[in-house]
Amino acid sequence: MPVDNKRVCGPEESQSPWLFLQQTRGQPTWVPQTRESERRADSRRRRGQVDARPMFARCGLVSQAKGSAYIEAGNTKLICSVYGPRETERKDELDMRAGRLVCAFRLAPFSCAKRCPWIQGSQEKDLTLSLQESLQPGVCLHRYPRSQIEVNVLVLENDGSALAHAITCASLALADAGIEMYDLVIGCSLRQDGAAYLLDPTCCEETGDESTENQGSLTVALLPALNQISGLLSTGEMKEATMVGAIRVCVEGCQRLYPAAQQCLLKSVRRKVHARSTDVDVGR
Amino acid sequence: MPVFAGERLCSIDDCIAGVGTYSRHGYILASLAGYVLKKNEGEELPVISVVRETEAQLLPDVGAIVTCKVTSINPRFAKVHILYVGSTPLKDKFRGTIRKEDVRATEKDKVEIYKSFRPGDIVLAKVISLGDVQSNYLLTTAENELGVVVAHSEAGAQMVPISWCEMQCPRTHAKEFRKVARVQPEYLQA
Repeated sequence: MPVDNKRVCGPEESQSPWLFLQQTRGQPTWVPQTRESERRADSRRRRGQVDARPMFARCGLVSQAKGSAYIEAGNTKLICSVYGPRETERKDELDMRAGRLVCAFRLAPFSCAKRCPWIQGSQEKDLTLSLQESLQPGVCLHRYPRSQIEVNVLVLENDGSALAHAITCASLALADAGIEMYDLVIGCSLRQDGAAYLLDPTCCEETGDESTENQGSLTVALLPALNQISGLLSTGEMKEATMVGAIRVCVEGCQRLYPAAQQCLLKSVRRKVHARSTDVDVGR
Repeated sequence: MPVFAGERLCSIDDCIAGVGTYSRHGYILASLAGYVLKKNEGEELPVISVVRETEAQLLPDVGAIVTCKVTSINPRFAKVHILYVGSTPLKDKFRGTIRKEDVRATEKDKVEIYKSFRPGDIVLAKVISLGDVQSNYLLTTAENELGVVVAHSEAGAQMVPISWCEMQCPRTHAKEFRKVARVQPEYLQA
């Protein structure tokens, strides 16, 4: 049988190198620390933060799409564009009475520390499904029978809690496109490490040691005006009481992000009025 | 006053929910991000609605008059692309079907599609149904005001309607059969 002499065979038995490392809490040393992240990391260690990163949101920047939104939270940057309502390509029984939401969540190849391939991996497909699940209760699909609305989210830089901000970005883009919605959907994520938790974690805060128990991450999507949770994604193992507490903290985080999203939407509505000369009566 | 989707506008006792709003838990909430419009329609309560500056995305609804372009014909039906709903253009084309029995009101079984429509004709039609799982929107031209409005002859010139079933080419003076729409005189442009 031909044997490949050029390959170096590894040992038959192998063990994870993490077992031999010293126990460090939450600070992987391979990430180059910029001054800002050090300052924030310091304040995090001191305070055990329940504050999400300040969010910058802007609607209506993609001219070709029906509606679009751009969100920056810390270093995480994402852009979402919405097309539709268009005629559905596939026809199922459900399409006749209500419309369909087709979501696509993509990580740009340059967004993570390690280059991602252009083909959608299983992680992206998973996140796409979660995104669709979270957005669907917020959109009035029964007003668009036989149509599909396409939502495309592209993550330009992933510095933690990409899914949570993608949910917020997608709902802003849907509202900017004039799709009827029951309410904006705001997303927030949390990282639980033992007894400490961090709201809106950055990329290095998201990875912890696997050896501590009661650790995991949680992403919650909330409709703030109706106070309904539309999506919940959790990884890791957490105790029941911890999980309930974590959900509550996330819901509060969503409520705190809501005014920023509202302001962004109102600004885009006002900008549209100034851009076009309207014959619509504007009044109370 | 600009509002965002999900904003509480007023209680359900003060107004009636109009376009762009919905009611939940005894309140009227906005479902669009736009401007609030309150109108007194003559009923007891004013109608509150939310409007956006861009044209509202209209979808073809049952009973709506649509303008469509014939893409292919078949002895049983004609396939069309719906371009306008009423007077608002659609950003994306929707597909529709005009069945043989829906072309005319009289003598439905003696209709020949080849003598009523040709590919490339612009037709005014009415939506009769949203269609089921397999089919597209079902349209009808079985009225005097519905049918072909613009058609090009085989020579390429735009034809002039002579009667409800014939059009003539101004260049070659050849007559061709179409199911012509009787457009009101004030809508005809030179």
